[in-house]
Amino acid sequence: MSTTTKRVSALIAVAVVGAVALTGCGAGSRTGNANATEVTCDYTAPDSATTVNVLAYNSSAIDPFTDTMVSSCTKDDVTVKHDPIDFGGQVTKTTATLAGDTGTYDIIETYGFVIPGLATDEKLVPLDDLFDKYADDYGLNDISESMRQGMSYDGQLYALPMQAQMFVMAYRADVFEELGLDVPTTFPEMMEAAEAIKAAGLMEYPIALPWLATADVSTSFQATMNSLGADFVNEGGDVTLDTPEAQEALEAMMALMPYMDPQVTTFDQPTVQQQMYNGTAAMSIMFSGRMNDLTLETNSQLADTFDFAAPPKVSDEAEYAYDRLSIDGWSIPFNTKLDHDMLFVMMASAVSEDASKASVPAAYPAREGMVTAENSPYGEAANESIAAAMPPIVSPVLADITNEIRPILVEVLTGSTTVEDGMARMQAAAEAIAG
Amino acid sequence: MKAREFWILFAPSFLVMGGLLVIPLVRTIQWSFESVRYGTPGTFVGLDNFADALTDPRFGQAALFTIIVTVITTAILLVLGYVVATGIDRLTKSRPLVLGIMLVSYVLPNLVGAVAFSWLVNDNFGGIVNRFIGLITGTQVLWFTEQVPNAILIIANTVWHMLPFAMLIILAGLQGVPVELREAATIDGASPLQTHLHVIIPTIRGVLGFVTLISIMDVLRMFDNLIPLSPQAAAIGNESIMLYVYSVAFADGAQQLGLGSAINVLTILLILVMLTPFIRGIFKEAKVAR
Repeated sequence: MSTTTKRVSALIAVAVVGAVALTGCGAGSRTGNANATEVTCDYTAPDSATTVNVLAYNSSAIDPFTDTMVSSCTKDDVTVKHDPIDFGGQVTKTTATLAGDTGTYDIIETYGFVIPGLATDEKLVPLDDLFDKYADDYGLNDISESMRQGMSYDGQLYALPMQAQMFVMAYRADVFEELGLDVPTTFPEMMEAAEAIKAAGLMEYPIALPWLATADVSTSFQATMNSLGADFVNEGGDVTLDTPEAQEALEAMMALMPYMDPQVTTFDQPTVQQQMYNGTAAMSIMFSGRMNDLTLETNSQLADTFDFAAPPKVSDEAEYAYDRLSIDGWSIPFNTKLDHDMLFVMMASAVSEDASKASVPAAYPAREGMVTAENSPYGEAANESIAAAMPPIVSPVLADITNEIRPILVEVLTGSTTVEDGMARMQAAAEAIAG
Repeated sequence: MKAREFWILFAPSFLVMGGLLVIPLVRTIQWSFESVRYGTPGTFVGLDNFADALTDPRFGQAALFTIIVTVITTAILLVLGYVVATGIDRLTKSRPLVLGIMLVSYVLPNLVGAVAFSWLVNDNFGGIVNRFIGLITGTQVLWFTEQVPNAILIIANTVWHMLPFAMLIILAGLQGVPVELREAATIDGASPLQTHLHVIIPTIRGVLGFVTLISIMDVLRMFDNLIPLSPQAAAIGNESIMLYVYSVAFADGAQQLGLGSAINVLTILLILVMLTPFIRGIFKEAKVAR
């Protein structure tokens, strides 16, 4: 073999090994549990070696609970296993694991929006009996009653609430102070503030919202309708996407566009965070789970300039805030072969008082009174946001409608379809699902 | 080789090919005629899935976009791959270093490379290329929300990712061209361009055909790089066929596995049509070689 050939071979080998190593680093790492809170997790272990597979997406708000479960409930012959995954992956895997008589996961993370649909399809184990059985041992009655209702359908509890996320507005306190601006409480006030910031030459696009053409944008549309006291369907299950509220909501969203980056329909929450870190936006509204990141100096030199407030209303006349309250919890899939008592104890441990306390300020635990202005930089804003949110409309078809109308909604926001056309098409698409 | 030895050596490959290629292919064809959800047996629906796919404007747009990107990307890969391979063929001592550096983009996982590539034009993450363009032209290019700039971005990323492969194969072909041929062309008074067009390229026609074949197959299946590069692909008409399949069969809890399978069958047919000239060429060459 010539020297040149040897060198080429060596270089190719190094490149391939390097790539494999890089791939391995990204794909194979598991959730780190080194700093997880240790809590009591007393269950009766099965006779043989058992692995409990947990499906939960990774985020700074969910990880503390998942890590607690993994580190505290893994003992003897029982291994609690959780592989890293993003939210989109969780949605896909939830659908797949609940499809047949056997599934991959034994505990799954769920959220209020999907509970009605999964409960109607009998995909989750009702938890009421288990809740009563272990309520005293794990202080479960301290979990917010309204959040338990949010994870219930037809009078039955289908998920043990873990934490909640609500819209919170983050803004640049220094910029607002410098320009003598008040914190906006309505969309028109937000636009006035944005106009003033633009006029001062501080920023070109002062408003940052996560309107990526995925669940982000449809959630934002739903939040806008909620501010006006409406949703995609009413209490009776009738689709309401051709109503005056739907039109006002769409027009209100479009009115914000000139103050946002022209590519806003490609921005997810991490991108909006990045806009705030970079100082290219002065106001943003995201789920509360993203707020703690803004306060970390390791993320941005502007960390100490951010302040938080409840999200604004769409207009002065609007009844509620531009807001969504999303409750996360633990559920037992109907097709797990493992003991339900053991799984419930693991879930209860993960949401125990100690675990919940340790999750603040990254998360907003489901237990009553855990988050305050003192222990969380956005605690007061989060509490005000919950108080200002519209009570949820519970419908098993909402999730499907949300997916179906999304492409049309994006067309309206990007101007390729008129508001009237878009409303008519969304109404028809949603009615096809609602029946 | 005795029959027994043949089967002992061939059986593992046969089992792997059967398990990973034939069974999924048969199942895909079967499902394309059924309405299927996860975990439930399918119900026969005849050609409904094909009719749904072929009457959906989104599928038509996805097919058109995929074909256009495939044709342009393959052409660029061939030309650029040939030019770069010719340059590297002249290198001596520095060749291993240049080859090693060039291979980085090819061995990187496609998604990772595409994320890094997207940051070049994303102002929120540095956007060095965008800033440079802004500095020169004073305008902001909307790389992610306008169809043509976004298509250019996707093609550029695909070329960046696949160029090392094309270049390596063509380089191997160039090294197989007899020196006497080039010398004869020079003696006959051929210019360098004429030598390439009339001597070298016809000599490595088979290699170029192979690169074209693989490039077409790879680009037609593009999927993961679009996630970071085209976040609203469907809305701007830059959705690839595979991304469309993903959205109808998997994304957001979708479960139209029958429709997804039908689109896959149509894609296989499309790939076959696009590859037919090259497959015929390879068969012809093999026949001549025999």
